[in-house]
Amino acid sequence: MAGLTRERRTAYLLGLPAALITAALFLVPLALLFAVSFTGADGFSLSAYARLFGSEHYLWVIGNSLQLALITTLVTLVIAYPASFAIARAKGVWRSLLLGSLLLPLAASVIVKAFAWTILLRSTGIVNNTLIALGLIHEPIRMIFTETALVIGAVNVFLPFMILPIFAVVAQMDERLTEAAATLGAGPVAAFWRVTVPVTLPGVIAGIALVFSLTVSAYVVPTLLIGERYPTLPSTIAKAYLLTNEGSFGAAAGVVLLTIALAVVIVSSRLGKAPGAAR
Amino acid sequence: MADAAHLGVKGVSKRYGAATVLESIDLDMARGELVTLLGPSGCGKTTLLRVIAGLVRADTGTLSLAGRDVTRMPPYRRNVGVVFQSYALFPHLDVAGNVAFGLNLKRLPKAEIEAKVRRVLALVHLEALAERPIRALSGGQQQRVALARALAVEPSVVLFDEALSALDRKLREAMQVELRQLLTSIGATAVFVTHDQEEALTMSDRIAVMHRGRIDQLADPRTLYDRPATSFALSFVGQSFRLSGRVVASEPGLSVIDTAAGQLRAPKQFLTGSDVIVATRPEHAHLGHATLGPGDNSLAGTVSNVTFQGPRSLVEVRIGDAFLTVQMPGRSAAPPIGSEVTVGWPIAETLIFPAEGEP
Repeated sequence: MAGLTRERRTAYLLGLPAALITAALFLVPLALLFAVSFTGADGFSLSAYARLFGSEHYLWVIGNSLQLALITTLVTLVIAYPASFAIARAKGVWRSLLLGSLLLPLAASVIVKAFAWTILLRSTGIVNNTLIALGLIHEPIRMIFTETALVIGAVNVFLPFMILPIFAVVAQMDERLTEAAATLGAGPVAAFWRVTVPVTLPGVIAGIALVFSLTVSAYVVPTLLIGERYPTLPSTIAKAYLLTNEGSFGAAAGVVLLTIALAVVIVSSRLGKAPGAAR
Repeated sequence: MADAAHLGVKGVSKRYGAATVLESIDLDMARGELVTLLGPSGCGKTTLLRVIAGLVRADTGTLSLAGRDVTRMPPYRRNVGVVFQSYALFPHLDVAGNVAFGLNLKRLPKAEIEAKVRRVLALVHLEALAERPIRALSGGQQQRVALARALAVEPSVVLFDEALSALDRKLREAMQVELRQLLTSIGATAVFVTHDQEEALTMSDRIAVMHRGRIDQLADPRTLYDRPATSFALSFVGQSFRLSGRVVASEPGLSVIDTAAGQLRAPKQFLTGSDVIVATRPEHAHLGHATLGPGDNSLAGTVSNVTFQGPRSLVEVRIGDAFLTVQMPGRSAAPPIGSEVTVGWPIAETLIFPAEGEP
């Protein structure tokens, strides 16, 4: 390391503890997970993957996970995009209030929020009671343990992760940009698509990557809000380890889950960097 | 409509709540004219520019541009170019993409857009940087891109909102001269907004001095400097020496004013008894009894400072509570600090205004 400057060496030294912890707590277990997923009764084996991709049931499970992540991502995006502008344009107390209402729920555990939804949505819950009291329905409708409940819960839990990155970009956006577009002949629609959307795209992409990877690997929300009817990759992993004691199969499902999340993050970060896309 | 103004602002007013930002502004500009709105922050100059651009709607009044009534027209139909103080360049596009933005919206053929972009970039000496991303440009280069983007759509009027203020002094001064030449060569009509009087004097055919939402004076730079219409215009443009006083005698073309420092004459009749401000430009003042003529005002003062600058010396004279800096040729002996001197200047170069506080 003779060629390194003093500052460089100091920087490496300062980073060493973090690097060691990362290696011990993440890289080693990941390597183990990877190794175990390729292990059968007699050493190396693809049997766990064969079982995962060879059965219609588990393809359906993977599909469930992807579908949940995709729908949740879309719904949060549709809510978060205008909401980010509302928060960014709000002034003083209003802005603090809106941001606070967004950040405060993050302090509550996912389990608390998921249970809260089961209480709200059950047949004697406040939602059903209110609808009955208003005369909109005559008897309780089934809400808990449905796909709708699942999406509502997931959107509620993961919405801040979509709003925050978009808000961060919108808050920094020079308001003169849309004015400049207007003076150059862009009507409101053209200014939105040609300036506002491309300028805020990095925030949108970051939000998509966050919410998709969080939802695809979510365990608590699907388990509490829909349960056995809608098995996902995370619940499959949990079952393999906790109930059936199939370590290799659980590891393979874990690797698949990790690959999906990683692919989304990598693709989106590439998209976020692509310059001049709308030239 | 041959004799109508290219840009016509008539009776434009704007209020925000209780605050009147613009009060019945009238401004007519000829085609190819360069006009500066000059004033301190809060005088309404930027609001007026935004009204012309269509980014702010006036409460009353009308606007016409290139023969069209644009009073109720949104900015995207007005055909105005704006160079913003922050430049407001599109960060997701490169230099050529920014310049082509307005042309793309007009759905011109691709080859024509490219040719126009190249021509405009050549105009601002940025041909070599067409492919650069915006963040890779210096402040001066960004300023040129913003200008090129505004000029590319061939606007009826180009509006500059403190567009040079972010540049450092040297670059700004070079850019003032270059920009004026460029705009004149392409025959552009332009409105500048600035609080920098030197920029206004350099850039403009006419200057509108704005004060509290009104145009105090609209005149060419020389008239504005020599014959300011209000004491505000006097103090905002150039150096001045001012004393307040009261008119004690007057006749057509002459007022005699008593000030704390002595009696002065001014070549304009004011009502006897009115409170006034009497002023002159420092360059009209000279030192010593010997140079005084019959048509001169004179006051006694004390030399408070002398600065030798080579070709000239600056002699600061304290007269009452006011200071007047007189220039002397560097070779002649300046009076010592603390000495009693007489300062004189021609009555013809004496300015008189009603005392401030009046409308």
